[in-house]
Amino acid sequence: MLWKVTKIIGMKKTPEEKLLNPKPGSKVAAAQEFGIDLTLLVENLRLTPDQRIRNLQKSMRNLHRLRQDAEVRGVQNHDRT
Amino acid sequence: MIELEPALKSLTENKVEFVIIGGVAISAHGSAYLTQDFDFCYSRSKENLSKIVSALSSFNPRPRGFPVDLPYLFDETTLRNGTNFTFRTSIGDIDLLGEVAGVGIYDAVDTEAEIKNLLGYAVKVLSIEGLIRAKRAAGRTKDLLVLPELEALREVLSDEE
Repeated sequence: MLWKVTKIIGMKKTPEEKLLNPKPGSKVAAAQEFGIDLTLLVENLRLTPDQRIRNLQKSMRNLHRLRQDAEVRGVQNHDRT
Repeated sequence: MIELEPALKSLTENKVEFVIIGGVAISAHGSAYLTQDFDFCYSRSKENLSKIVSALSSFNPRPRGFPVDLPYLFDETTLRNGTNFTFRTSIGDIDLLGEVAGVGIYDAVDTEAEIKNLLGYAVKVLSIEGLIRAKRAAGRTKDLLVLPELEALREVLSDEE
C-alpha cells in the first residue's frame, strides 16, 4: 500500500516543475513555443493572488507615468519646432 | 489606468453582485498579462443595478468616447437600457458586462467564479477555464494572444499528471 502512495506522490509534478521542464506536446510547451516567458509565470505562481494584483497595480501606474512623461516630452518637442 | 482599490472597496461595501473578468482576473490567476482597465460581470437584478449606481456614481462614469460637452446621466434606467458598458471614470476605465461571450449572463459566470482575496477584499474572480472560453468566444487578436498563457496555467494548476 505504501509503495503505491509513494509512487503516486512521486509521479506528481508541482506547477513550477511543469513550467520549468515542459513536457513535449503539452500546453506549457506550446506556450513556450508561442513566445511566453515561462519564468514570469513561475515567479507569479510563487505569489498570492493579492500580491499579483498589487504588482499589477504598480505596473499600471509605472506605465501610466511613462505615457504621461512621453506626452509632455512630445508637447515640448513640438513647441521647439 | 485604473485604481483598483477604490473600485473594489466601493463595490464590496455596496454589496454589488459582481465577478471580476478580463485582465485583472487573468493577472490574479498568475498571468504576466498587463491590463489597464477593470472589467466585471454584474447581475442585472433591479436591486443590483441600484447598488452599482451607488457604488460607482462618485467616480463620475461616462461612456468612453462620449462627447465631453453632452450631459450623461448614470442611473438605474441607463443601466437597465443597456447590457455592456465601457466607462471612463475618475479612477480609470471600468467595463461592466451583463453577459460574457462564451460563458453567459451573471448566473453562469457566478457558477464559474472563485473567491480570491484581492487588496484586502474577498471578491469573485472568473476561473481560468471560464476566461479561456470567454477569450475564445471574443475572438479578437488581443484575446487570442493571451490563450496560450492561460492554457499553460490551466495545465500546470490541474491535478493531472
